[in-house]
Amino acid sequence: MSAGSTRSKWSSETRPEALFGGRDASLFGRRQKRPRGARLPVVAVTGFLGSGKTTLIRALLDKPEGGGTAVVVNEYGEIGIDHALLRSSSDATVLLGNGCLCCNVRSDLQETLRALFADRARGAVPSFVRVIIETSGLADPGPILQTFATDRALGREFHLQALVCVVDAVAGETNFERMPEARKQVALADRIVVTKSDLADAGAAERLVKRIATLNLAPVGIAGHGEIEPSFLLDEPVAVRRNFDLGEADHTHGLESFSLIFDEPLTWPSFEQAMAVLMSLRGPDLLRVKGFVALAECRGPVVVHFVQHVAHPPVELEDWPDDDRRSRLVFVTRGLARKPVAQLFASVAAFAAGGA
Amino acid sequence: MTDTAIWNFKQLAHHELDGFGGIGEGMSIQIAKDGRRILWLAHESAPKNFTAVDVSDPRAPKLVARADLPQSHMRSNSLETVGDIMAVAYQTTKQGLQPAGFELFDISVPENPRSITFFDCSGPNSRGVHQLWFADGEHIHMSSGSADFVPTHPKDDQFYRIIDVKNPSKPVEVGRWWLPGTKQGDNEPPPVRHPENADTGFRPHNTNVYPERPDRAYLGYIDGGLVILDISDMAHPKMVSRWDYHPPYFGFTHTVVPFFDRNLLIVSDECTRTEGADWPKLVWIVDARAETNPVPISTCPLPPLESFMRRGARYGAHNLYENLPKPNAWKSDRIVLATYFNGGLRAYDTSNPYQPAEVGYFVPEPPARAPSGAIQINDVFVDERQIVYTVDRHVGGLYTLEMEF
Repeated sequence: MSAGSTRSKWSSETRPEALFGGRDASLFGRRQKRPRGARLPVVAVTGFLGSGKTTLIRALLDKPEGGGTAVVVNEYGEIGIDHALLRSSSDATVLLGNGCLCCNVRSDLQETLRALFADRARGAVPSFVRVIIETSGLADPGPILQTFATDRALGREFHLQALVCVVDAVAGETNFERMPEARKQVALADRIVVTKSDLADAGAAERLVKRIATLNLAPVGIAGHGEIEPSFLLDEPVAVRRNFDLGEADHTHGLESFSLIFDEPLTWPSFEQAMAVLMSLRGPDLLRVKGFVALAECRGPVVVHFVQHVAHPPVELEDWPDDDRRSRLVFVTRGLARKPVAQLFASVAAFAAGGA
Repeated sequence: MTDTAIWNFKQLAHHELDGFGGIGEGMSIQIAKDGRRILWLAHESAPKNFTAVDVSDPRAPKLVARADLPQSHMRSNSLETVGDIMAVAYQTTKQGLQPAGFELFDISVPENPRSITFFDCSGPNSRGVHQLWFADGEHIHMSSGSADFVPTHPKDDQFYRIIDVKNPSKPVEVGRWWLPGTKQGDNEPPPVRHPENADTGFRPHNTNVYPERPDRAYLGYIDGGLVILDISDMAHPKMVSRWDYHPPYFGFTHTVVPFFDRNLLIVSDECTRTEGADWPKLVWIVDARAETNPVPISTCPLPPLESFMRRGARYGAHNLYENLPKPNAWKSDRIVLATYFNGGLRAYDTSNPYQPAEVGYFVPEPPARAPSGAIQINDVFVDERQIVYTVDRHVGGLYTLEMEF
């Protein structure tokens, strides 16, 4: 979707669906049972150095649910404790216990994942069913989110199932105050795991959870001895069901998170145009937008996901997951408030309907 | 972790069929009068004829009935059910033997299949029926020889026959077609043989007819490629088109499945040789917007030959799920499910038919007593509950799966 585009980039006119779509074609390829369709799920784990990412992943790999996991450690040249714990004896991908695969990333994440996918197809590595990426402590999750956005990158083979942020109860609050990256990691996450509550002062974990809730309303889990229920890490996040606006809270340092819920179905051209305007004018501040869109043109909900100026390919699901059939979007922005965004959508919809 | 490779399928159960787990190309669902869901399976070779499995609970399949073949020099391989009637193909190992033809059974009590009639197709130049299609309860479309058919070459002994079974106790042939030149007395010259090591015959394998186009038959014609017939006058079928891609490809066009609403044909080859000797055997996507000129536009991607050719026995395409026009069969005009012998069961999304994308696979670990030491996934069926049934050719029996893609 380029700036000022007036064409529907993903609509049937530019796809083979126009020739071979048949009467039941979706605007967005085959309707899927789940947002990831057939793609391999990727769980990206962020969190500061020492927050307990490695322990958390290790604990998951030891459980039956963690079987068939390829772990990619995204080091960015750092040398740290993470490195020592998960590092394999050679540069090649190797099997860890529990049939898992571990490889240290020295170069580009994309190249590594592409090679993993190819090796898997030709049987050179075990037939893993998911990938967990452990990011380096200071990593900005933005580029990782973008990696899975387009066909040209990895969006055809992999689906970012969940972005999990690990925050430790001992240092978490201090990091929030001092490090903008720490706030951003939490704000962008689909789930947040609080670790080391047993090592922190009484009440520290509680205070931290409250603080997290000013940045992100995603589910927060408390890890016991570095472990958490596997489904908390691995499952697809549930779409938001209520209106909220965290932009008005204190201590957000300019990070805003809010939801938009539309009672009536939208049309694809109006939704696409509203997002095109946002991306062209405020792309860098549009840290993450995701949710379900109810479209007049589609029978199932359309899963959308935007990261700054990049749009993931929309996916139409076969059916709604529950009775709530409203469009629901969560925005995480830098300094872009709920009100003007809501107004933009309303105006575009009015234009599209021939009014305004 | 076992040696099973599985992606976007979930295995529900595995039943080795009590030591007789070699299944051919006949898989059909019957809903019995008491509500049980019975899967009828044709065996790949003697001594067993067919096996019935209660798959009401796909997590716990139960053996219900099994029949022996009357002779060891024959095989059933193919069967279909419509309601409480089952048609079973009989093919002999050599021309001139008996019984060769098909048998109709009353399966209203699945434990006790009762023969209704036997339709004889034997003859000095006939091995009988290799495969049959029986979907509407009225006609059987099949690949068969007959007593009065003398082929120009012994390998072309089977041809397309339409049998009216509206009265199941008195089946009557109502039409037939063969590739011109394959019958002695034809005006056309016989077709040019494929090289000796790849000469598998100019004869039909699958003969599919669907209610969307009751006037068309879609034939995989082995060394003759894909054939579309106009059967609006069943007594006089006429060829609409033929797509012959051999050589350079090895022959054995096996199955043609139309995706009617999308103007596509899915065409499978059969791999018949081991260790990649007839590689590549493929599943083709064919543009059928102009049915008189089918145009291949892509093939379903496969793992490289080197990854599978040394695992034992065959690696390459074989059967497709055929969108059977029956109430207890799943329908999809986006997903292709194909079996690849030791390459297992593979699923493809054809939403972009120029670039079919693999969306799942199931390659079970080799069955314990596999003669080749390899799995040989042979056929696949999907019921309307979207339960997938797939079978091993030699000993592995039945696997039940769910699709997660």
